[in-house]
Amino acid sequence: MKQTVQKLWLLLVALALVAAACGSDSSSDDTASDDTSTETASTDDSSSDDAAADDDAAEASAGLEGTLRVMIHQNPPMVEWVEKFNADFEAANPGVSIDLSVIDAADLPTSNQTRLSASDVDVTTVTVTGFANPVQPYMTNVEPPYWQQLIEAGLLMDLSGQPFVDNYDDAAIAEGGSFDGGVYSLNLGRVSYSGMFVNHDLLAEVGVEVPTTWDELVGACDAVKGAGYECMTAGGADGWPIFVGAYGLLGSLYPDQQGLVEGLWTGDLAWDDEQGQKLFERYQIYANEMLEDQAAGLGHDAAIERYKAGDVAFAPTGNWQAGVLEPAADSDLTPAEFEWSYIPFPGSDNPEDNQILFGKYDQGWAVAADTPVPDLAMAYLAAFSEAETYNDFANTVNFLPTQPTATLDNTLGRSVAPLLQEGAFTVGYEQWFIGPDGAGQWANGGQGAMWFYNGDFDDAAAAAAQAQADLEAGLSS
Amino acid sequence: MAQEHRNLFSGGRRRFTPWLLLAPGLGIYLLISVGPSLATAIYSFTDATGIRGLPISWVGLDNYDEFLLQGARSRDNIDALQRTLLFMAVVTVVQFGIGLVMALLVNQNLRGRMFFRTLFFVPVILGAVVQGLMWKLFLRPGGGPMDTLIGWFGLESQFLTGPSAFYWVIVVQIWANAGFTMVIFLAGLQSIPSELNEAAAVDGASGWQLFRNVTWPQLTPAVNTNFLLNIIGSLQAWILFLVLVGYRNGTQVLGYVVFAEGFGQTGNNTFRQGFAAAASIVLFLLVLVLGMTANFVVARRERKYLG
Amino acid sequence: MTVTEVLTAPVRDDGGSTARRRRTKLASYAILLAFAAFYIGPLLMLVSASFKTLPEFFRDPTGLPENLEANNYTEAWDLANFPGYMLNSLIYTVVATTLFVIMSVFVAFPIARGYVKGSRALLTLYVVALFLPPALIPQFQLILNFGDIPVLGDLFFSFWPEGSQQQGLFNTKTGYILLFLTNPIGLIILVNYIKSIPRELDESAVVDGCGYARFVFTILMPLIRPALATVIVIHAIGIWNELILATIYLTSDDNYPITRGLIVFEGVYGSDWPKLAAAVLMLMMPMLVLYLFLQRYIISGLTAGAIKG
Repeated sequence: MKQTVQKLWLLLVALALVAAACGSDSSSDDTASDDTSTETASTDDSSSDDAAADDDAAEASAGLEGTLRVMIHQNPPMVEWVEKFNADFEAANPGVSIDLSVIDAADLPTSNQTRLSASDVDVTTVTVTGFANPVQPYMTNVEPPYWQQLIEAGLLMDLSGQPFVDNYDDAAIAEGGSFDGGVYSLNLGRVSYSGMFVNHDLLAEVGVEVPTTWDELVGACDAVKGAGYECMTAGGADGWPIFVGAYGLLGSLYPDQQGLVEGLWTGDLAWDDEQGQKLFERYQIYANEMLEDQAAGLGHDAAIERYKAGDVAFAPTGNWQAGVLEPAADSDLTPAEFEWSYIPFPGSDNPEDNQILFGKYDQGWAVAADTPVPDLAMAYLAAFSEAETYNDFANTVNFLPTQPTATLDNTLGRSVAPLLQEGAFTVGYEQWFIGPDGAGQWANGGQGAMWFYNGDFDDAAAAAAQAQADLEAGLSS
Repeated sequence: MAQEHRNLFSGGRRRFTPWLLLAPGLGIYLLISVGPSLATAIYSFTDATGIRGLPISWVGLDNYDEFLLQGARSRDNIDALQRTLLFMAVVTVVQFGIGLVMALLVNQNLRGRMFFRTLFFVPVILGAVVQGLMWKLFLRPGGGPMDTLIGWFGLESQFLTGPSAFYWVIVVQIWANAGFTMVIFLAGLQSIPSELNEAAAVDGASGWQLFRNVTWPQLTPAVNTNFLLNIIGSLQAWILFLVLVGYRNGTQVLGYVVFAEGFGQTGNNTFRQGFAAAASIVLFLLVLVLGMTANFVVARRERKYLG
Repeated sequence: MTVTEVLTAPVRDDGGSTARRRRTKLASYAILLAFAAFYIGPLLMLVSASFKTLPEFFRDPTGLPENLEANNYTEAWDLANFPGYMLNSLIYTVVATTLFVIMSVFVAFPIARGYVKGSRALLTLYVVALFLPPALIPQFQLILNFGDIPVLGDLFFSFWPEGSQQQGLFNTKTGYILLFLTNPIGLIILVNYIKSIPRELDESAVVDGCGYARFVFTILMPLIRPALATVIVIHAIGIWNELILATIYLTSDDNYPITRGLIVFEGVYGSDWPKLAAAVLMLMMPMLVLYLFLQRYIISGLTAGAIKG
C-alpha cells in the first residue's frame, strides 16, 4: 500500500517535470538533431583534455633534431648516469629532446614486445642478458628466445658497419648482440653472478679464513653463527636473487656450464645423477641453513643494504651490487665500513673449481628498425660509445667493461681482475639453458635453490628426481 | 522481458533517432568487447605472438592439446586449473560467510555501526594495487605485524615467499572483497519488512529460529546475487597474485597464465598469444559451466523461497 | 526501497529479554572489533612505516616510529610524478565514466522500452557478455592496429590529434579511455531500472511535444538517479583501480594512472618500505577522503542497484 502511494507521488512529480521541461518548446521540430549535436560536442569537449603532446619540435637549427625515445631498466646507479648523459647530449644538440622511460627489469620483454610492435620506442634496452639462450644445434622442439622473435619480425635495426660497433670487443659483439650475420644489439657490459661478497673484518673477528671449499664454507657459517652473526643474506622477497645467489654453487660443481646444458639435452647428464644429487643437497643447505631468516623480507636492493651494515659474513649476488658497498667518489652515499672482496662461490670440494668466475652479458641497446630518427639514434649510441664516456658508465654501474680500453678502477675491479685474467670470461648456465617444449615447470634445475627456499620441496632427492622427470617429459615429446 | 512497443517518439524522419543515439554505445561495445571476445576463439587456433611482423599460422588444436594433453607441460596447466577451482571454492564460501556475519552484525542497533560499515568497505575503494602493497607490508616476515601476531600462538610462516603463499593470497582476496558482499547482504536485510521480525519475536522465536525461518528465506535475492558474483569474480581474479607473489611455480591461477603467456611474463619470456587465447577459452568454459550451474541452483532456490 | 539510505536505515528491535540482548550486544562488539583490527591494522602499519627511517624499519618493522618526520613523504613526492599520475587517473575516470553513462542511457532506454526492433536480442547480447571469454589478446591487436581498420582507421586518424596510423591507439589516452566505454553489468542495471519508470511518462512527454533526446536528458536521467549512481560508482572504481590494461597499453610516464605509477615506484624503491608506504598513502588519500565524504551515497547507491539488478 505504502509503495503504491509512493509510486503515485513519483509519477505526479515526474509529470510535472515533463510539463516544465518540454512545455516551453513544444513546437520545435528538430529537437532530436539538436540533441545529437550536443552530444557530439560534449564528446569533443572531453577528449580535448587528452590532446596529444605530439608536436614535432620544429626547430630550425642545423644538425640533429627531434625527439628520441629511450627505454632503460631500473637499476639506480645506471638510471642516474643515463639521466646525466641525456642532459649532456641534449645540451650538445639543441634541437634534440630525449624522452627516457625507466621500467622494471621483469617488464622488459613485455615492454619491448608492445613498444617495438607499436613503433613507440627508438633506442631500447632489448635485454639484460645479452643474446642469451640461443637455440643450439642439439636442441629440437624449442621456442626461440624473444630477442630472436623480435629480429625475425624485422623490428630491430642491423647495426653492422656502424663505426661505434668497433669500440667494443669482438666477443661482446658476437656473443652479446649478433644473430644470423647481423649486429642487433650493442652490449654494454659483462657481469658476474657466480660470486659472493666477503666481509673480511667479520671473518677475522670470528677467526676463520676465507673459505676455499664447500666444507670450509659450511664450517665458516657455523663459526659465524656461533659468534652471533649471520652467514648469508639475499633478496628473498624478490624470489630470483635466491637462485641467482646459487649460480656460483652450480658453477663450481659444473665448471663447464655450456657442457652441462648440452649434457642435459643429450642425456649424458641428469639432474638426479650423482653430481646432480650433490648439487640439490647443497642447494638445500644453502637455502635453508646458510641464508638468514630475515632474507625473506628483503628485496634485492635491500639485501645488499642490509649486508652493508656489517653483521653478515657473505652476500652471494651479482657483482653489480658492488656500487652500494663502494659508491662512486662524487656520490653522497657512504661506503661499507669493512674490508670486502668478491670471490667465486666455494661450492665444490675441489679448490680449483672454486676459482672460476662466470656470468652473463648484461644490458644490450638496440634500435627500432622503423625509427623515424635513425640519425639521431646512431648519434646517441656513438656518443655513448666514446671511450671516456663508456669508461665512466662501466665504473658507475660496475659492469666488467666490453670496451677493451675501459677498466674497472675500484675494489670490485681489483678483486675480480686476477680471476678474469686466468680464463676468458665465460657465459653461465642461465644463458644457455632452454627447456624443450612440453617440459614441466621444474625442468630448470638451475633454479632449484629457490624451490627449497619457497618450501616447494624439502627433500633433495625428490627435488632432483622431479627436475629430471620434468625435463625428460619435454625431451621425449 | 523487453517487449517491443511502438516508439511513442517516432514520427516522420525522427523515426531513426533512437537508433542514431543508440549506435555509438552499441558500436563501441561490439568493437571493444564482443568482437575481441569472439576473436579470442579464433586466436586460440593460431601461433600468434603479438609481435608485429611475425607471420601468424593456423595450428588447429595444437594449443589445446598442449594445454590439456601433453604430459608434464599439461600437468602444470591442469594444476593451475585445479588451483583456480580451489581458490574459487574457498573464496566463495568464506567471503560469503564473513560478509553475511558482518552484515548481520552491523544491521543491529549498535553504536558505531556506521563506522564499521564504512571501514569494511574501504578496501573495495582502494583497489588491488593498494590492497596488495598494504598486505605485502602487513605480511612482512621477520617481525612484521602478522608475523608477530601468529608468533603469540607459537606459529610461523614465510608468508608470501613460502609454501603457504597461495593461501595468504586467498586471505587478502577475501579481506578485500568481503565488504562488497556485506553491502549486498545489508541491502537485502533492510528490505525485509519489519512486521515479519516483530511477529516472530512476539511468537517467542529464538535468534537462530528467527534467522532460519525469517531472515534467510527473505534474504534469497541477496544470497543469490552474492553467490553468483563470488563464483564468477573469484574464477577471474588474479591481480592480487601479480601484486603479491608474481608468477611463481605452484601459485599460478588460470587468469594469470593467460596474461603471462600472452605478454612475456613466464620464465622463458616468449610471447605466445595463441596459446594464451586457448588458455582463456578454457577459463571461459569453466566460468560458463560453473556460472550456469550456479544460475540453475539459484533459480531453484528462488522458486522454493519466493514462489 | 530504491532510494533508501541503507546506511542510515532505522534499526529494528528484535524483542527478547534485556539480559539476552546485552549478551548479544557484547558478543557482536567483540566480533566486530576483531574484524576491524584486520581492516585498521594494515592501514596503521602503512602509516607507521611511512614515518620511520629505513634502518629503524629494518630493526623493528612493527613498532611505532620514534619520530614523526615527514621526510619520506617529501622524498617520495620528489621521486615520481605523482601529481601527473593523479591527474591522469582523474581524466581517465571522469571522461570514460561520463561518456559511458551518456551512451549507455541511450542504449538502455530504447531497449527497456522496446523502442527499437530486436530490443530483446540486444539485451541478450549484453547479458551474454558476462560469460564471454576475456578479450585481452585480440583487444591488444585491435588497439595496436587501430589505424589498419579499413575506412574507420583512415578516417579516425585524419582528424584525431592523438595516436597515429602506425602505432594505432597504443600508449594514448584516447585508446585507454576507449577500453572503458563498455560495461555490460552497468547497462543491465540501467535497463532494469528504466523498466520501473512508468511508460505514461513517455506518452505525456510526446503529448507535450518533447523530443526524444531531450526527454532522456531532462526527464529520464533525473528519475533514474539511483541506478546512475550505482553504475557510476561501479564503473569509476573499476577504472580508478585498473592495473593490467594500464600495464599493457600505457608505456610512457606521461600517461600512467596512479595504479601503474605505484607499481613502477614499487619496482624502483620497493626495498625502501618507508618511502613506498608514504607514496601509497599519498596516492590513496584522495580516493579515501572522497569515499569518507560520499560513503553513504556510494554504499546506498550500490545497494539500490543490487536490489534492482
